[in-house]
Amino acid sequence: MTTLISAQYKPTVWMKVQKNYFKNWRSALLSMMCFAVLGGIVWSIVDWGILNATFSSTARHTECYANGGACWSIIANRWRVILFGLYPYDEQWRSITACFIVVATIAFSCFPVFWTVRRLSLIWLVGAASFFVIMKGGVFGLSLVSEEQWGGLALTLFIFVGTVLIGMPLAIMLALLRNSKLPVISKVTGVIIDTVRSLPLISILFTFALVLPFMLPDMLVGEKLYRVIAASALFFAAYQAEIIRGGMQGVPKGQEEAAQALGLGYYQRITRIILPQAFKNALPAMINQFVTTFMETSLVTIVGFFELLASANAAYGTGEWNFAFVEVYFFVAAIYFAFVFALSRYGAFLERRMAN
Amino acid sequence: MKMLMKSLACSFGVALASGAAQAEFGETLKTVQDRGVLNCPGHPGSYLGFAEVDDKGNWKGIDIELCRAVATAVLGGPEKTKIVPISWAQRWPSLQSGDIDVVIKASGGTLSRDTELGFQFSNSYYLGTTKIMAHKELELSGVKDADGGTICIPAGASQERQVSSYADRIDISLETVAIENTEELESAYYSGRCDLYAQWGPVLAISRSVSKNPDAHVILPDVLAVEPEVMIVRQGDEQWLDIINWTLSVMLFAEQEGINSKNVDAMRDNPPSVEVGKMLGVTAGMGKPLGLSDDWAYNVIKKVGNYSEIFSRSLGKESPYKMDRGLTALWNQGGVLYPFVID
Repeated sequence: MTTLISAQYKPTVWMKVQKNYFKNWRSALLSMMCFAVLGGIVWSIVDWGILNATFSSTARHTECYANGGACWSIIANRWRVILFGLYPYDEQWRSITACFIVVATIAFSCFPVFWTVRRLSLIWLVGAASFFVIMKGGVFGLSLVSEEQWGGLALTLFIFVGTVLIGMPLAIMLALLRNSKLPVISKVTGVIIDTVRSLPLISILFTFALVLPFMLPDMLVGEKLYRVIAASALFFAAYQAEIIRGGMQGVPKGQEEAAQALGLGYYQRITRIILPQAFKNALPAMINQFVTTFMETSLVTIVGFFELLASANAAYGTGEWNFAFVEVYFFVAAIYFAFVFALSRYGAFLERRMAN
Repeated sequence: MKMLMKSLACSFGVALASGAAQAEFGETLKTVQDRGVLNCPGHPGSYLGFAEVDDKGNWKGIDIELCRAVATAVLGGPEKTKIVPISWAQRWPSLQSGDIDVVIKASGGTLSRDTELGFQFSNSYYLGTTKIMAHKELELSGVKDADGGTICIPAGASQERQVSSYADRIDISLETVAIENTEELESAYYSGRCDLYAQWGPVLAISRSVSKNPDAHVILPDVLAVEPEVMIVRQGDEQWLDIINWTLSVMLFAEQEGINSKNVDAMRDNPPSVEVGKMLGVTAGMGKPLGLSDDWAYNVIKKVGNYSEIFSRSLGKESPYKMDRGLTALWNQGGVLYPFVID
C-alpha cells in the first residue's frame, strides 16, 4: 500500500511560525511589534519578581528597597495571616485541612463516576460535615473556633461552596417556576428574579447582614456568616436561573411535545429531556457565573468578614510591611488564578465531553 | 429592650440611621458580664497603629489596647475581648443592634453622631489633626508657600473640604488630585504626581515613616482641622459611659503619677498619696459607684498599662511608627489630655 506524498509532508515548526506570523511584511511588522511589547512586559515582571527580588525571610524594607525588586519576604513572614486570617495560630492546621477537604470534595464531584444524585449528595454531606467540624470544633477534643474567627482562604472557599450548594438548586427551581404555564407563578417568579438582579450585590449583602437582624425575631436571625451566604446564594440563583432558562429555550419545543406524546410525566420530562440539554446549551455562561461568584466572595469584607482579600489587607497593613502591598496582591492574585483557571479548564472539559 | 428597638426600627421603616439607639441604665454592663466577653470593633484588614494584625493573627494597636483596658476593668482580664472585624459603614448599625458594646475605631465626636444617631461620647483619647506633607526639595516652610501647587487628597473624605476651605482662608490656589484608594493615593504622592499630600495626621506620619526615604519629606506645621477621637456608646446607659470614661481617666492618672505596669505592685504596697491608694484599691470606694470591684483600676494598670505604655506600644517609640505624642500628651507635657480627680 502506498501513501500519498502529500500525507507524508510534515511542516517543521519554523515553517509554521513563518506561515502564521511572517507571511508578508505587514504581518511580520505587526508580529514583531506584538512580540516586542509582550517581551517587554514579561521581562519587566521577571526583572522585578525574580532577578531583583528579595527572598530572605529576615529582610525588611531597607534591604528590599536596596535590591529594588519585589520583596517576597513579606510572604515568608505573613503568609499565615493571608491564608488563615484571624484563625487561632495554634489551630491553623485545621484551617488548611479544611481547605483540602473542600478542594477534594470539589475534585471528587468533578469525576463523571460520581454523577448520580445519591453519590453526589453523599460526597457533599461528608465533605461539608467534616469541613464544619474541623473548622468550628467543639467536639472530638477540638477547641471551639467561632465563625467570626474564620478567615482567609478557608472562609473564601466556604462562602463560595455554600453559595453554589444553596444557589444552584434554587436557580433550577426559579428557572422552572419562571417557565411555568400558570401565569401567576411565572410572573411572580419573574418579578423576584428581576428585582434581585436589579439590586447591587453589595446592598443585598448589607441588608442581609445588618438590616435583617432588626426585622426578624431573634430565633430566626442566626449567625451573620450564614445570612451572608444566603444573600450571596440568592443573588447567584437569580442570575443562574436566567442562564438556565436561556438554555431551556434553546431546546426545540418539539422535544417536550414528543416526550409528552410518549406519556412521560413532568418530572421525567424535566430531568431526562429538558434539563440535560439546557445545561449543555448554557454551560459556558454557567461556568462564567461560577467564576464571577468566586471573585465576588471578596465583597463580604464590606460586612466585616476576613476573607482572602481582607486578610491580605491585614497582612501588609502593619508599619513593618506597609510598603509591600503589590507583592501581597500578586500572591493573592496567584491563588485566585489557580482556582479560577482550574474552574474554567474543567468547564472546557465538560464542553468537550458533552459535544460527543 | 432589644425587641423594642427592633420594632421601633421597623415601624419607622428606616432600619438603620434613624432608629435612635436607647439603652437602659446599667444594661450594657450586665450584658457584658453575663456574656463574659467585651465586643469591640476591628477592621476588615487593618488601620495602621490603631488596629492591625500581628504575625500570629492577633490584634494590636491603640484602639485594641483601649478595648482590652475596658475588658480588664469590667471582666478582670484583657483576654476577655472579642474583636469583631467590621467596616467603617457598619460601626453604627453594629453598635445600635448590640453586636458591639462600644465603638473604639478612630472615630471622631460629631454633632450628628451625638444627636441623630443617638450616641454619647467618652472624653477624647486621641487628638487627630489634618496635616499636609510635602517633598523636602520644595523647601516649603508652610502651606502658604505652595501657591499653585498640586495636592493629593483622599477622595470623598472630610479632608477634601478642609483643604479647600483652608486654601481659601490663606488665599492660595491648589490643584487637587482626589484618589480613593490609600495605596494608590500614596504612590501618586511619592512618585511626584503631587507636591503635597493632605491626610489625617497619624496616617500621614505613619506613611512618611515607612516610605522609601522618610527624610525626603516634611510634614508642614499647618493644622487644617482637629478631630478628637472618642469612644462611642449607646445613649441612655450612663453607667456604661462612666466605666469607659473612668478607664481612660485612670490610665491617664497613672501616667501623671508615674505608675506603670511594672511598678504598680510597689505603688500599691506603699501608695505615695491618698488618691493613688484609692485608685489601686488599697482603700475602698473605687469600684462600688461604677458597679465594679475595688481593684479594677489596679488590674487595668497591671495587665494593660498606663496611657503612655499603650501609646508607646501602638504608635510611639516601641512601634515601627515612632510617633511623638504631640497634642496627645498629658497637660503637663504640652498636650491636651488630663485625668479627672479621684476624691
